[in-house]
Amino acid sequence: MATLKVFCARSNLQGLLRSAIRPVCATQQHRNHFIQVGQKEKSLEWSPIMDRAATSVFWNELFRGLGITFGMVLKEPATINYPFEKGPLSPRFRGEHALRRYPSGEERCIACKLCEAICPAQAITIEAEPRADGSRRTTRYDIDMTKCIYCGFCQEACPVDAIVEGPNFEYSTETREELLYNKEKLLSNGDKWEPEIAANLQADYLYR
Amino acid sequence: MAKYIEKISNALKIVKHNGGIVGTYLGLYRRDDFKWGTFVGEDKYGNKYYKNDYFFMGKSRWVEYPLSVGHDYDASQIPSEWHRWLQYIADEPPTQLPLPHRPWMADHTENFSGTSREYVPYSTTRPKVEAWVPPKK
Amino acid sequence: MLRLWPLRQISRLQNAISLTQQACNKSSVPAPSPELVEVFVDDKQVFVEPGTTVLQACAAAGVEIPRFCYHDRLSIAGNCRMCLVEVERSAKPVASCAMPVMKGMKVKTDSPVTRKAREGVMEFLLVNHPLDCPICDQGGECDLQDQSMAFGSDRSRFTDNAFTGKRAVEDKNIGPLIKTIMTRCIHCTRCIRFASEIAGVEDLGTSGRGTEMQVGTYVEKMFKSEMSGNVIDLCPVGALTSKPYAFTARPWENRRIESVDVMDAVGSNIVVCMRSNEVMRILPRLNEDINEEWISDKTRFAYDGLKRQRLTTPFVRSGTGELVPADWESAFVKIAERVNATDGDLIAGVAGGQVDAEALIALKDMLNRLGSESVCTEEKFPMTNSGIDFRSNYIMNTTISGIEESDLILLVGTNPRLEAPLVNARIRKTWINSDLCVTVLGAPVDLSYDYQYLGDSFELLTDILNDKHPLAKGLKEASKPMIILGSAVLQGENSGAILDTVKSLSEKLRAGSEQEDWKVFNVLHTQANQVGALDLGYAPGVDAMKGSKPSVLFLLGADAGTVKREDLYENALVVYIGHHGDYGAQIADVVLPAAAYTEKDAVYVNTEGRAQIGRQAVSPPGMARQDWKIIRALSEMLGVTLPYDKLSDVRARLGEVSPTFNHAGQVEDAGFFNLSDSATVPRKESRPAVQPLSPALLSLRDFYMTDPISRASLTMAKCVQAVDDAEKNPYSKPEQS
Repeated sequence: MATLKVFCARSNLQGLLRSAIRPVCATQQHRNHFIQVGQKEKSLEWSPIMDRAATSVFWNELFRGLGITFGMVLKEPATINYPFEKGPLSPRFRGEHALRRYPSGEERCIACKLCEAICPAQAITIEAEPRADGSRRTTRYDIDMTKCIYCGFCQEACPVDAIVEGPNFEYSTETREELLYNKEKLLSNGDKWEPEIAANLQADYLYR
Repeated sequence: MAKYIEKISNALKIVKHNGGIVGTYLGLYRRDDFKWGTFVGEDKYGNKYYKNDYFFMGKSRWVEYPLSVGHDYDASQIPSEWHRWLQYIADEPPTQLPLPHRPWMADHTENFSGTSREYVPYSTTRPKVEAWVPPKK
Repeated sequence: MLRLWPLRQISRLQNAISLTQQACNKSSVPAPSPELVEVFVDDKQVFVEPGTTVLQACAAAGVEIPRFCYHDRLSIAGNCRMCLVEVERSAKPVASCAMPVMKGMKVKTDSPVTRKAREGVMEFLLVNHPLDCPICDQGGECDLQDQSMAFGSDRSRFTDNAFTGKRAVEDKNIGPLIKTIMTRCIHCTRCIRFASEIAGVEDLGTSGRGTEMQVGTYVEKMFKSEMSGNVIDLCPVGALTSKPYAFTARPWENRRIESVDVMDAVGSNIVVCMRSNEVMRILPRLNEDINEEWISDKTRFAYDGLKRQRLTTPFVRSGTGELVPADWESAFVKIAERVNATDGDLIAGVAGGQVDAEALIALKDMLNRLGSESVCTEEKFPMTNSGIDFRSNYIMNTTISGIEESDLILLVGTNPRLEAPLVNARIRKTWINSDLCVTVLGAPVDLSYDYQYLGDSFELLTDILNDKHPLAKGLKEASKPMIILGSAVLQGENSGAILDTVKSLSEKLRAGSEQEDWKVFNVLHTQANQVGALDLGYAPGVDAMKGSKPSVLFLLGADAGTVKREDLYENALVVYIGHHGDYGAQIADVVLPAAAYTEKDAVYVNTEGRAQIGRQAVSPPGMARQDWKIIRALSEMLGVTLPYDKLSDVRARLGEVSPTFNHAGQVEDAGFFNLSDSATVPRKESRPAVQPLSPALLSLRDFYMTDPISRASLTMAKCVQAVDDAEKNPYSKPEQS
């Protein structure tokens, strides 16, 4: 402890001295706390020179790299082998749209047009008229999937859970017009994906 | 040392899972992967589902497409029920917890884009204006 | 209000007596204006007339009180209780719609008491109101929705209906126009008051009390009124909605275009609701001078005729005598070939009643340039005496709002209820609120108010003129008499005599009246733009044109069937320019598709002589184009290019021809009454008319289909069917449509 104090006093004294002298006579300062961060200068002694030459001549680094590659072949891959393996999804995943039906097979959509109204991309177009039995149904339910931004507001707005964004995202197409979905396409999506859609909604019921 | 023994035993499991050396090679040819696991189920389209929790999530469940589709396998061939299990939304496969089925539900179809069966949009409404047709004489 | 049931019986007696004795000579001296009453609304001082209600006083102070049952044009019911406000030193909240103001009253419209009262009322209303807004057509324009958002609570204490269910009422079928979902009804009784006060049809009423209360027709039957559609607008909830509009659109997605109606000659102001280039519905637009805030059913519901039987492509008659679709150029070439080989005298034009002024002036200018003076309208008007030389001879001089000042109306050969329902509504309004006396010379039709029926012979008219009839005295003693002459009686033979007699009588009354600027003579037209055509110099009636046996005939929307092929030169070329495949298109050799009234910016002159601008809501279907543009293009093909390229140029030309078109929306005052009658032209054809003075439209059945648009309309066809069914058996359950 005592030595530390002496050291501190000395260094302080030195600092004081230096600041007092500096204006009078500008001397070369001595800096001694630098750290070398760049490449170290290569030693020019014989033994290191020989080592370096041997490394290059015998492709030492190349073989070391091949070794790592080989080791990786034997290791478990860190990537997913799509389409055989697939990553995890949430039950709330917002993928391809679908129009659902009631368990009786009756279509749910009642043409209230709330989804059309809330759609920020204006991707939904609905036309409606009374069906033969007097119920309110759509005659046109078009979603322009190229406009859709998958915000999920439509399924939030729907009072009867008719329009949903299903779990499917593998519906890429080769032409643009195939993404202009009409009512039949959306209903058939619903018919195909209903088991999973219903189960996902059930899984999420506490939070809706 | 134990590490290497495990590697060797895994290799043997892979060979056993794939049904021999040739099967392993063919599997590698089809799927670019060696794997072994337990059989979970098969859907009506011939897709076989396996799982092995030895692998991390994302690799622990996988599907083997039927040989009938050849190399035209596609992720969209997985039906709705199994999709849910395969994508880790549910832990119970439909063999354990079957999802309700209704008569109006449709069979699964793959993504037909680029084929002759692709979806072509059409209008579902009547024309807005009914034009006059002159009476025939 | 005195004349509303049940006091009506008394007033009817009074009428009969007064007619024979002194003929409605009532001294209606306005009471001296009383002092204004000082009222404080939310500490803001306003002065209102005594007798104003608290609600109106609040409106004067700029505070809107929520209400369901109160409506400016209906009597006060005070049954919804939504307008409760706190009044200082009052024990309870006060129903502001029914409470007259008192001196120094301090009204608090936003106090805790008021807010709590409103919230409570709203809670009660919502106990039994179904939560079916997503499928309700009123959703988005519903007073209950809006006011429950603004004033209601977010929860209800009436949770027992979760188990017992809400009140449910069976829907009534009241015809093909109005859809009823009676479970949604909140019993504001606006529809009932409209039916009995404005429409004059006491079909609607309530039965039962409390939860059992129901609004309906007692026994299931059709709501037979020519203005029944207005209850849809009046209904604050979705209990009464439009059947043709059902489920088709939402209010927020409609674009609203202000336009003018052409179904009758009233020129009702309308709002055309458009979505994706389709007319979704038609609503009334407020205009105190014309239609107030009502429109007739034909105006409101005939729009589906705009989507049927439309001409979407030009047609040219082929060698085999069939109309085949063609392009514009070949149609024009066919016309040009014939016109260029024809003498100007043998070219003629006939315009229908719904044609806009722009097309009229374009056709007239084109034919004049081709050397033809033969342009006429389908509708006749007698050319005896001064004929149509003076504007006052063929317009409704007193204007529609002038009816309210009148104290005696003589209807000659007209059934205003069907020919111009809003004129009739105005007469009824005046009849209710004053001692107006109505006499009818024509057919004893149902006019929704009491009147003295005189007969239907022409001699009665001359008797009145010659002071041989008791009414002559009544007319003389009336301070502001009106004579309304229907255009239907002017269509027959020798109708000039009728016109002359009525004009002489009117002039006698006008000259003898103390009211300086009161005009007695009125013509009630039935065609939307007949006055406009006459203003532009069209000759009324096709008889003169027929005499010249034209070889090329242009039919501009002429579908009344007044011209037949036999009237024309052999192998004459008939060109039809119009929007519907009706009579005109069938006899034509070349059909040029034009725009209907919702598809063009156009000027129409109503029966008052008021030019009004209708605006384009949707684009014409297919290859159809706006009428004046067709004629302009055709004129170029015929080598007589018209000097206007833009709509503004056409409007300027209209203004040159007649000053009426210079200020849209106003009535150009027509004078020269003394001149018009004092025979500048010697009387000719003054033989007395022999046919009865009967209007063309007698029963409601005739009302619905009068023009190409309404004839193409399915809704109107359903109305005719429903009226027929109701005639057969009024109380059978109408078929659910």
